[in-house]
Amino acid sequence: MAQIFDRSSNGLARMSLVLTGLIVIALGVTLDQLQRSPWVTRQGQRAEQPVPFSHKHHVAGLGLQCQYCHTTVEDSSYAGIPPTRTCMNCHAQIWTDAQILEPVRQSWATGQSIPWIRVHDLPDFAYFNHEIHVNKGIGCATCHGRVDEMPLMYAQNTLQMEWCLNCHRNPAKNLRPTSEIYNMAWEKPSEDRPVWCSVKQEQEGIPTAQSVDCTTTDPTQSGPQVAMFQAAAEPGASSEPGVLGEAAPVPVPIPASYQKFTSQDQLGHFLLKAYKIRNPRDLTSCEVCHR
Amino acid sequence: MSSLMDKPESTTSNTMGSGVDQFENNPQAAVAAQDSGPDSRQNSRLEPVQEPMQEPMTLVQVREKLKNAKGKRYWRSVDELADTPEFQAAVEREFPASAQEWVDPVSRRGFMKLMGASMALAGLAGCTKQPEETIYPYVKAPEDLILGRPNYFASAHPFVTGAIPTLVKADSYRPIKVDGNPEHTYNQGSSDVFTQGTLLDLYDPDRSQKVLYDGENREYQEFAQALQDAVSASKDGTGIYFLSATITSPTLARQWSEVQKAYPRAKLVQYDPAAVGTALTGATWTQYALSGADVIVSLDADFLSGATYPGFHKLVRDYAERRKTPDNLNRVYAVESSTTTTGMKAEHRLGLRASEIPAFAAALAAAVGVAGVSAPSYAWTGEQQNFLAALAKDLKANAGKSAVIPGLYQDASVTALAAAINQALGNVGKTVLITQSINPLPSDQIADMKALAADLNAGKVDWLVMLNSNPIYNAPADLEFATAFNKAKVTAHLGLHVDETGQISNWHIPAAHMLESWSDARSYDGTISIVQPLIDPLYGGKSAHQILQLLLNEPLLSPYDAVRETQKANIKGDFETGWRKALHDGWIADTALPATASAAAFNGKVPTPSSKDAIEIIFRPDPNIYDGRFSNVGWLQELPKPVISLCWDNAAIISGATLTKLGVEEEDIVELTVNGRKVKAPVVVSPGHPDNSVTVYLGYGRSYAGRVGSGAGFNAYLIRASDAPFYETGSIRKVDGKWGVAITKSHYQDHRSKLFGGQGNGNNSLEADEALGERAIIRYATLDQYKADPGFANEGFDREKTNMSTSLFPNWTYTEANAWGMSIDMASCTGCNACIVSCYAENNIAVVGKQQVRIGRDMQWIRIDTYFEGDLAAPRAHFQPMTCQQCENAPCEEVCPVGATVHSPEGLNVMVYNRCVGTRYCSNNCPYKVRRFNFLLFSDYETESLKLMRNPDVTVRSRGVMEKCSYCIQRIQAVKIDADKDNRAIKDGEIITACQQACPTRAITFGNLNDKNSKVAKLRANERSYQLLADLNTRPRTTYVAAVINPNSELEETPVEYAPVKG
Repeated sequence: MAQIFDRSSNGLARMSLVLTGLIVIALGVTLDQLQRSPWVTRQGQRAEQPVPFSHKHHVAGLGLQCQYCHTTVEDSSYAGIPPTRTCMNCHAQIWTDAQILEPVRQSWATGQSIPWIRVHDLPDFAYFNHEIHVNKGIGCATCHGRVDEMPLMYAQNTLQMEWCLNCHRNPAKNLRPTSEIYNMAWEKPSEDRPVWCSVKQEQEGIPTAQSVDCTTTDPTQSGPQVAMFQAAAEPGASSEPGVLGEAAPVPVPIPASYQKFTSQDQLGHFLLKAYKIRNPRDLTSCEVCHR
Repeated sequence: MSSLMDKPESTTSNTMGSGVDQFENNPQAAVAAQDSGPDSRQNSRLEPVQEPMQEPMTLVQVREKLKNAKGKRYWRSVDELADTPEFQAAVEREFPASAQEWVDPVSRRGFMKLMGASMALAGLAGCTKQPEETIYPYVKAPEDLILGRPNYFASAHPFVTGAIPTLVKADSYRPIKVDGNPEHTYNQGSSDVFTQGTLLDLYDPDRSQKVLYDGENREYQEFAQALQDAVSASKDGTGIYFLSATITSPTLARQWSEVQKAYPRAKLVQYDPAAVGTALTGATWTQYALSGADVIVSLDADFLSGATYPGFHKLVRDYAERRKTPDNLNRVYAVESSTTTTGMKAEHRLGLRASEIPAFAAALAAAVGVAGVSAPSYAWTGEQQNFLAALAKDLKANAGKSAVIPGLYQDASVTALAAAINQALGNVGKTVLITQSINPLPSDQIADMKALAADLNAGKVDWLVMLNSNPIYNAPADLEFATAFNKAKVTAHLGLHVDETGQISNWHIPAAHMLESWSDARSYDGTISIVQPLIDPLYGGKSAHQILQLLLNEPLLSPYDAVRETQKANIKGDFETGWRKALHDGWIADTALPATASAAAFNGKVPTPSSKDAIEIIFRPDPNIYDGRFSNVGWLQELPKPVISLCWDNAAIISGATLTKLGVEEEDIVELTVNGRKVKAPVVVSPGHPDNSVTVYLGYGRSYAGRVGSGAGFNAYLIRASDAPFYETGSIRKVDGKWGVAITKSHYQDHRSKLFGGQGNGNNSLEADEALGERAIIRYATLDQYKADPGFANEGFDREKTNMSTSLFPNWTYTEANAWGMSIDMASCTGCNACIVSCYAENNIAVVGKQQVRIGRDMQWIRIDTYFEGDLAAPRAHFQPMTCQQCENAPCEEVCPVGATVHSPEGLNVMVYNRCVGTRYCSNNCPYKVRRFNFLLFSDYETESLKLMRNPDVTVRSRGVMEKCSYCIQRIQAVKIDADKDNRAIKDGEIITACQQACPTRAITFGNLNDKNSKVAKLRANERSYQLLADLNTRPRTTYVAAVINPNSELEETPVEYAPVKG
């Protein structure tokens, strides 16, 4: 009886095996890419909001501070979405006839909330807490991106677990002085842009944010402004408390503990200690985010 | 809440074919059938289940078995003790079998309904994107609200046994947890099952939502107008009747007195089925200060089990304070007619039939030298005489340092005799304080109710306005209230539900919940608390204050203003300041009622006990749903009742001997007859219950309670008459049929001990073999034993031999500052269940329904294991709260294939719900059986009102996910964040777990084991502290402190009949 399969079918069989493998791999890669894609994560997508609110205009253009609207970011897990009243503080006076603001006026008149679409939406089983992040040196822009450059709000990052863990495994690479938390334009220190920091009065019960002092201007050369401010705010820092009032015109000696940092790595590890940030083992434990 | 519960009708009917029916009604037989072979599972649906091969043991055999047993012997259920095949079968499987839900059409329908909802939501959850969410910000934000941080408001839970001061946690002004007020001297932060349950009561989706007139929607204004017109037409109030639950609010009492002034012939009747004729409605009020009592005697008073007894929180705390260390132990004697936790915790317990207790009290009074008491002659047994003699001697030796506490539900003579005994012993003024009643309008509720029925029948009633009262359901049966009710010209009902009375009243007004309205109430010592609303009425409910106010000069005066008006007399100094302080603190200072000098001399009559052969029916309010008012609270329905571990039903609770005498078995249906009125009930055995008497709990058998409560249990009010509201002689007989009941005590047992070469005496449960010897789960000693051997809890056990190198797995290294641990005091826990309900609220735990409980799927993260010891007729019980032990060497972690249960750096076993794929390996490997699996979609994601109730800090778990106690990880994390922010260490006592918070006895302590000064570290270092199943090398973070008891040596020397062999 003749062979059913020609010799060439061996090659065919091998090829189909390889092909099947490739297809399986391709499928896996596709699915993997798909679930990381903006289609799933909504990264970079601008939702259709009831009012096309521009962060760029309000932050960069008008210079509103983040906390003017997001009032509870330092005190609560939730940063807060401003009530209509916050909008009306200004828009009762300006742009009172703008068509674009009709939903705001409507809300104010009827007492019904403005239904914003949530842009940064974590799954319900993940618990994120704003207050601990901003109190320990994670700036707004680290997660939310350059909001001051976004005419319409979108998510800069995926907010997927992988992305969270990236930082929780090595927080040093994103830490910045708490005085720079709301600074949208903050850039990591470099040789050109060094940062000077000092720790004073480190003491249990005093928030670490208060005992760490950082500046982007060289404290040894800067004008008296910074130094004077320091002296006035922190009487304990002055060696001669009695002459505080007269000290104003005299350049105050700079505390010797100011350290100069020229890279994020140096600064990050300094702040890691200064802010007493928990170790990565602790920060990546499941119960930190899942309860 | 789940609707997967069966109704008694369905268990007794025969509509579904015999095989199915029998299968459904006898889960144990079903289990046995399933285990008999692989094919029997399918067959059993079609064919009748075979009877178990082996006959169950008779009671005599059980006793024989007990006598021959050596050493201390513990058991959890009669089945276990008798070692029945059903029990064997039950322990074979970790989760008892579950064929029913596909067979039972009701349950399947419910399941498909749930599935439909979940399928629509779930889809391919992992691969699809999340639905878009909308944020609804405030229009004008409240000034003091920080979204994401809870607010706390002091309020009170007004209850007929005295208000319970509360501190209510609100998230965005939604109340999400009701706990005791930690600063109030009365309860010091503790609570009870009712107080915890009021939260679900508020969000109950079945609450009435509209004003109805004969079933049609109306406006409240129309009702107000109609009532006002009728009252002014009557000129002096003739024909206007109010029927109210016992009035606890001074403001309501003031409003009533003003109504009375304006309309002198209007009548008020107070009726509370669980308070009628008790000391709660009398003019005097007795308080006990048990911290000074060395000897405590309960004359049928169940003061350790729950808020059904006035002053529970204080009494049980004072009791437990004197049990925590062995140097100053008190001693409790309990004489009781039903098995209660008080009796089970007592050093010496005497079970007597209810009618014998007045005679016993009289004999005791005579024995301690109360003048003018003649005890009825009665043939006491030798045991009873010994008990009486020893008790009287002990009382006399502790004059001025003892307290005799009478039962609420006893004859009035018992209350009077207890007062006289306390007076004679010089306890009054020391451990016993007598004041005027805290309830402002004491009345004879029975006489008033009879008069009301008579007036109704005589046609004298024009308007009957019922304020939070449900007489159609709970009026005494002999008054034929439903018939009389129809003779009123107009009836109006104010209530939370359109209940049995609301259904047939002309008007129905939705009532405001206590968390929705202003009021006031007095707590145990008379201190006034303001009841503060946390939320606007969800459904526009009205309070009783508003109804009475309609008849006064300012008919629209709000309850807020009315309460302020009343309290002007009580708040000293500047009123506004004082008012704000009262609201902030939760009480008005210096409003406790002054103690009167002494108790009245006894001059009553002591009733003679009924014949020893007569069957007595004892009526008690249910420990979970009280008189039926909490019927629709799923948390409370699913809560195992203390001692008998029964949930979702009430039962005819009898002793083992009576069971044998009647020739019935548990779950058989019996007919109870009292004066010709009959009701059918399932039989449940309670160890230690007096013979020839039957305890039935009130509050069940509701027809219009709501989706949870309707149809559960039987209505005991149907056989309850007005002249004997709490016990009566009657009869009991077996009728056909089985009534499947849900009893949780046989759950969570496994057959591990056999594998480990346990005692091998055929009783292969964790409870029996492992409660013995070196694996003892329950360890305790008498005071003498303790003195001789203070290390009794650990000597001879393997505990400290934990060898870190014996584990196959690498040991965890702990470098963190915190190592969380828990210590549970076995001496303090009285099994009151408050922790379980607190855990429900804190951790968003689902209610699963009766059928699911019957197959072992209840979701409670903490349970109270009740271990009986000794004789079936006179046992002692040990209550052991059991929750995740947070093992350092956790068996569950090693077997999880997906890393869903992992070890935290601080030593906790944490669950990651979104990783769990539901293999249940972890639960199989857990020696403590504390893991709970969501077999079905138990959580209700659909009902709007329940969404408001959830704790936003805890995930609501879905189907197919394992869950367990997390030591309230959300609370730990919240405090950690606060402490990190402030750059400080976490203070001892800063983190309180939900169970600890609710516990009235402070049996639970939580804290940091690394801090050697923390309370928990000190308790762990205590010589009486022991770990459970320490030989498994699980190294649990939870430890237990062994109890020391203080028995009277004279009674020890005269062991009672069938006494266990002491080890």
